[in-house]
This record gives sequence, C-alpha cells and structure tokens, in this order.
Amino acid sequence: MKYAKILGPLLGLIVCICVAGVPDSRAEQISLNYRLKWLFNTSVAGDIFAMEKGFFAAAGLDVTIKEGSPEKDAIKELELGYADFGVASADQVIRALDKGADVVVLAQIFQTNPMQWIYRDDQLQITRLSDLQGCRMGITYGGNDETIMKTLLAKAGLTLRDVQVTGVRFDFTPFLKNRVTLWPVYRNSQGVILAGQLAREGESVRFFNPADFGVDFVANSVVTSGKMAADHPDRVRQFLSALLDAWEAAMDPANQKQVLAAVKRYDKGTQGEVQKAQLDATRDLVKPRPDTAVGRIRPKAWAQTEAIMLAQGMIKQPVHVTSRLRDLASFQ
Amino acid sequence: MLFRRIYQFMIVYAVFLAILLVVKKGLSLSDYVIPGLSLILETAVQMSAGFFTDVMDTLSVAILGQGISIFLAFFVGILGRKSSWAGSMIRVTAYNIQAYPIVALAPIIFILLGDGFLSRLLIAAMICYFPLLLSVLGVMAAPVEDIEHFYIATGRMRWQLEVKIRAFENLSKLTTVIAGSATLAMAGTIVAEFIAANAGIGYSIRIALYQSDLAAILTALFMIGIVISVYQGILETLGEMVKAKWGSENKGVLL
Repeated sequence: MKYAKILGPLLGLIVCICVAGVPDSRAEQISLNYRLKWLFNTSVAGDIFAMEKGFFAAAGLDVTIKEGSPEKDAIKELELGYADFGVASADQVIRALDKGADVVVLAQIFQTNPMQWIYRDDQLQITRLSDLQGCRMGITYGGNDETIMKTLLAKAGLTLRDVQVTGVRFDFTPFLKNRVTLWPVYRNSQGVILAGQLAREGESVRFFNPADFGVDFVANSVVTSGKMAADHPDRVRQFLSALLDAWEAAMDPANQKQVLAAVKRYDKGTQGEVQKAQLDATRDLVKPRPDTAVGRIRPKAWAQTEAIMLAQGMIKQPVHVTSRLRDLASFQ
Repeated sequence: MLFRRIYQFMIVYAVFLAILLVVKKGLSLSDYVIPGLSLILETAVQMSAGFFTDVMDTLSVAILGQGISIFLAFFVGILGRKSSWAGSMIRVTAYNIQAYPIVALAPIIFILLGDGFLSRLLIAAMICYFPLLLSVLGVMAAPVEDIEHFYIATGRMRWQLEVKIRAFENLSKLTTVIAGSATLAMAGTIVAEFIAANAGIGYSIRIALYQSDLAAILTALFMIGIVISVYQGILETLGEMVKAKWGSENKGVLL
C-alpha cells in the first residue's frame, strides 16, 4: 500500500516523459499561411494539388491555404503577419510598392492573363484594335479590365467615349441577353461556363486576348514580404520549390484525373465536365508550351504593366517593379 | 440638435481615425495597409467634391426608399394590427420576406429591374422597412385600453380612430424609429450600389476597394457620416415639431 502511493505518480511521470519523447513529425514542420486571391476552383489547381498530394509536407512545411476574396488582400496580410505567402495580381503589387509596402514577387503563375473578353463569333471580327470602335462592351469600373481596355483603345487612338460601355456586375445577363457584344471574363473559369452555355444554344464564341494585340498585363503571382525573403531564404526556397513542383505536376495531362479529384474535394459546386474544361484552359494559360517552366517571371511584362499603370495615373511615380522580382534561382 | 449630431459624428470619426493611425504607427505599417494622415488629407482634397455628389445621389434614393418603406410599414402595420387570422398571416409574410438576405435577392432584383435607379430604390426600401414594420406593428397591435375603452363603450370606435389613438400615444417612439431608419435606408442604398450599380457612393467605394485605396474609403465614410448626421438631425427636428404641433392642436382631444 505504501509503495502503491509512490508507484502511481511515478508511473504517470514515466508515461508523460515517454509521450513527450515520441517524435512528432508535425512539430518539426514549419507552419506557414498562404492566402489565395480567390476561392478554391480549378484556377488554383496547383495550390490544391500541393496541399492534397503532400508536396508541402515533403518539404517539411505545414502550409494552411486560405481562400481569397475581393476584401482579402494578400499583400496587406503579409504586412500584418496573417500570411507568410500569398497570391496577388500585378496591379496590387505595383500599387502596394507605390505606397511603400515591402513585397517581392516569387513566381508568375499565369503566363497569359486569364482576363479576356468573350464575344459571339457571328457578331464581331477583331483583327485590328480599331475594330473595337463603336462596340458595346462590358467593363468593371476600377477593375483590371478597365485598365487593360483603356490601354488597348489608346493603342488604337480611341477612348472609352468611342465605345458603348456597360458596367459589369456579378451576373452575365447583359451578355446573355445580347445587350453587350464584348464581356470581360476569366478565360479559364467564367469563360468556360459561358462558352458551354452558349454552345448548348448553338452559338459559338471567341475570346479577345489583349496579349495578342501587344498588351501583356501580368495577372496573379506568388508574393511574400521582403523581410521574409531576406531573413528566411531557405523557407522561401522550400515553399516555392514545393509549390512550383506541385503546379508542374498539376499541369501534366498525365495527372489530370488526380488533379480533378483533388479540385472536386474543394469545389463541390462545379460539374466534373466543366472542371475538366477549366483545367484544360488553365493549362494553356499557365504552361502554354511544354517547355515553359511553371512560374516563370517575365520582367518585360512586369515593366509594361507598370508603364501602363503609370500612364493612366494609377501610381504616382515609377516603382521599378522589376527590382522586386525574385525567382527560385535567387534562393538557391 | 442638428449641430450636436454633426460634432458628435466628428468626435467619433476623429477617434476612429486616431486609433487607425496609432495601429499604423505601432505596427510600422505602410500606406498600402493604413494610409498616413497626409495621404488621407491629399485624397480627401482630390475626391471630396466627387464623393459629395455621389453621397447626395445616394441620399436622394435613400430618402425615397425610406418614404416608401414608411408607407409600407404603416400600411402593413395597420392591416396586421388585429389578432385575427388575416392579421397574423400578414405579419408572418412580412417577417418571412425579411428573413431572406438582400445579397441573395439582389441578383434576382438586378435581372428583373436592371442595375439602375429602381433596383437601388427597392433594396433601400427593403432594408429600411423591417425595423419600421416591427415598431409600427408593436404600436398598432397594443391597445391603449384606458382611452379605447371609452370609445368602445360609447359605440364611437372606428378603425381610423383606433389607429390615431395608438399613433398619438406612441408618437415619440414612432418619430425616433423613423429618424433612426434613415441610417438603414442609406445603408440599404449603399449595399445596392456596392453590389451592382453604376452610380452613388457605394459604387465609388467598390472602385476604391478594387484599387485597395483605403484613403478614398475613409474619405467616403466621412462624407456619408456627415450627410447622414445632417439628414437625421433634420428628421429629429421635424419629429419634434410634429409632436409639438399635434399635441397643441389636439390638446388631448382625438375626435
């Protein structure tokens, strides 16, 4: 009885020491937060694939991927410490630099900007920018598409007064009801849905891609803070390497079935056929040629994006965005 | 009352701004996250005139929406004041309609009415209407037994008199609710503009949000606050005048 009184707590202590001594694989992993620009869908197939297939875990990282929205700005979250990495559009990056934010670009996910205009091919032929004159088109005031369209029109010697503009809202009614000829869409998400909808009505569509007319406005990119890049280059390398490997794998047609299954777990509302078409469209934008490395940063496109924003008075002075571009090689 | 409302708003806004600036300084945040005072002032100088026009545009829709919602609230409140089956049905219908979030109904409204004036008006009225209805129903469904008993006993009670007695006895409550609903009408109009309109201050805030321009948003908030303070002050003053006038004219006699 006397021994039992001592033995009980002693056994408890031994158990505690043993449990504490068991190596926890998660404890060794570095926890990171990664804020996306938009909701989980096929556009972020590579990010989902990295999470689902253990790319981050294999790199010793415990990454929490958070969905984005117009109100959630990854660059602000980097500065506030809510996120370690994020996805931001080029205009966000350039605006942030203009206002003194410390942000660096790590990868350019989309080689071609998905923001394009859809139109019915029996209504319009756009072979030259001057064909836009008099067009009825949708524009999101304050959005990227307004900036891009103003640049395109300026290249043709036109302004918004030379076209008929309809403000874009969340539904496609003006385009579906034929009140507008050109409607801005994300080519690999809304574009696929609209094209499918119209195909069922016997109508075929085309996409007006500004890059075909020399306006190469950069879209979403992976970013982090300058402090993170300077203080933890190893962590940045681990994260970026895992992320880009996952994107490469996700864009490989051989992995299509697995990628779609992973996306489906997060985006349950979209039909499988639509997701398949969206993945095909995403692949064309992310990896336009088999030899294109995913995430390749194109400084010329960034310089053009900055020049456009400067010309339109969206930033006050040059921010030299090309000096803030760091690819994976910078961290090797 | 009007000036008190304005300076009270100024104090609240100044405190709010001071907290933001303290956070900015404390966390060493860039102007991208929280703009500095100089950037806010610079933006205010550049955008005040345009934002003032936008706020007045929004206010005009809000006033109209509030008018419609006051009319509807009294209409439904008077019809639904009886504890009959029909009265109960009207109350349940009114409550259920309000249970649907406006953001879910908005796309339907925009498909049916487009993204112009009518959609903004309808959404403003819908957001403003329910709190008004609750108060009007509360007032109209509660008998003022001391007074009503006399008219019922003498066989002189009519529905118009019943409504008049109940409104008169709760005049203070009704004028306060009507003045308070101005904020809701304004908020409703701004929500409509934010979701999908091409005019008004809500639309300007949406553009500022797209461009991560917090200085512009703060300027817009200041404009909205000032204008709504003035409008509410005017409504309260009018309410006081109505109470004073009705009280002295009737001198306690309702017939």
